Amino acid sequence: MDFTLKIWRQENRKAKGRFETYKISNISPDCSFLEMLDILNESLVDKLSHPVCFDNDCREGICGMCGLYINGHPHGPDSAVTTCQLHMRKFSDGETITIEPWRAKPFPIIRDLIVDRTALDKIIQEGGYVSATTGGVPDGNAILISKHKADEAMDSASCIGCGACVAACKNASAMLFVSAKVSQLALLPQGKPEAAIRVQNMVAKMDDLGFGNCTNTYACEAECPKQIKRSNIARMNREFICAKVASEESTKR
Amino acid sequence: MKLIQFASITKKIALASFGLFLLLFLPVHLGINLCLLREDGGEWYRNASHFMGTNYIVKVFEIVLMACVLLHIVVAILLTIENFMARPVRYKVRTKTKTPFMSRYMIWTGGIVACFLVLHFINFYFVKLDIVEGKYSANIEQVDKAFQEKALKLQKGELNEKDQAALMAQYQAISQISPDKMDKGQKNMVNLTKEEVEIYCGKDFKHKEPDFYTMSQELFAKKSYSFIYILVFLVLGFHLYHAINSLAQTFGLSHKKYSPVIEWVSVIYAVVVPIGFAIIPLWIMFVK
Ligand code: HEM
Ligand code: SF4
Ligand code: FES
Repeated sequence: MDFTLKIWRQENRKAKGRFETYKISNISPDCSFLEMLDILNESLVDKLSHPVCFDNDCREGICGMCGLYINGHPHGPDSAVTTCQLHMRKFSDGETITIEPWRAKPFPIIRDLIVDRTALDKIIQEGGYVSATTGGVPDGNAILISKHKADEAMDSASCIGCGACVAACKNASAMLFVSAKVSQLALLPQGKPEAAIRVQNMVAKMDDLGFGNCTNTYACEAECPKQIKRSNIARMNREFICAKVASEESTKR
Repeated sequence: MKLIQFASITKKIALASFGLFLLLFLPVHLGINLCLLREDGGEWYRNASHFMGTNYIVKVFEIVLMACVLLHIVVAILLTIENFMARPVRYKVRTKTKTPFMSRYMIWTGGIVACFLVLHFINFYFVKLDIVEGKYSANIEQVDKAFQEKALKLQKGELNEKDQAALMAQYQAISQISPDKMDKGQKNMVNLTKEEVEIYCGKDFKHKEPDFYTMSQELFAKKSYSFIYILVFLVLGFHLYHAINSLAQTFGLSHKKYSPVIEWVSVIYAVVVPIGFAIIPLWIMFVK
């Protein structure tokens, strides 16, 4: 298959970026999107020009490192896959493919298509964990958890932190990510002791970092490679309201 | 950047709460408007607007309502600006993500409704506040009472010459009043301009009320106004459809059990309420 690629190139955070056009041919339909970019990069290196920089790691849809905004879709036109799991057969022969980095104020560009997603880690640091005490290992079955809750928590926990929800949202809101991280712990007994302060701290951090406000358009849900549901956001809103009203703890500034 | 220093979810809840009050008020307004459909010369409608204009509890709610309208608009605009600024560099390719109908256009549908609200306030609310001149009605008993008081003063010789002349002129005017200035029940003088109120009721008459019945009939008689009115309620319907769904999500009510119910409520509300309003100009144009 042959493609025309329009790719965002930008030397560093401060530099002015631009789109570069590349022609690429003889691509197998079974080639993954990132392999296609590898082939492009080899040809660029052969010509002694700088390869296109993009993030990736596992290439099997579990790490959340990859992420490109392809033809108006985060992670491309396929549904429920990451960019590394996207295949060229999802495009038509001769198609022009525009590739952009995630665009959001809290995601500054490092180079070309690589953005700095430390902001998501900073939100996790504010409460996306449970505090554990040292001592003997507790029995795994000592705390009862219903199947329903365990399943829901597992679904929420499948978020890989790729940031496609932010990239898709017209407001660059991180609500789907944060709500998945709040939910996976709020649903389980282990997460309950710190639930009230967790949701307040994580939301406060999310706001401080400059993400937008959710307006319930659900573009996040539509593009999430792990099919995280909007009900997580409702759950987080519920947790937040209850914490604000009923809890004595509140975020320290 | 934050324009309002509250948590994002708090701001959303504020927006939704102001919106919720508007949602509760709309059916009340609709109920009153539907009185226009009765062929009673505006009796029910005038009674309703008399109640809304004079009851003290309603007056308190009127302040709450106006605050909610203003705050809903202000918070909506600030949130929209904040959200726009959260993506300083936009994408070249416009998003192709499928999102629920109308969810992306809330500020536009809301904005159109806001423009109409300005017109609506000029036409009605500002008349009540006496900023804009409209048509007025006056309860005949009250006019009579004021007249009798002055007549008593006249008997006691307490009126100066100018006031005596004015009282005579008022007496003459009332005895020759044309039938279209009286309502069907012969309880109110209606369709009065500000000058006519002075002529028929005396200069210092304090109980004139805006005659919203006559004013709305005059407006709906204009095809262009009726057309805009119907269009605005169509747009409001779109706003409301997403608004009710969105409100449930914001309050954290989205839920396996409630969500289907909420979906139905938003469809029914967003269809029934705007149609209810739009029926009135249609009725006046085609049935009456
Ligand atoms: C009778 C009039 C109106 C009613 C009943 C109404 C009701 C609502 C409700 C219930 C919401 C949902 C809040 C939420 O997202 O949780 C909402 C959202 C909104 N409204 Fe209104 N509204 C009205 C007029 C307006 C006006 C005049 C504007 C003008 C700017 C406006 C702009 C917005 C915006 C921007 C949103 C946010 C949408 C979102 O978060 O997705 N609305 N409205
Ligand atoms: S919620 Fe989905 S889109 Fe957002 S970061 Fe997690 S996996 Fe990625
Ligand atoms: S590279 Fe790990 S998810 Fe794509």
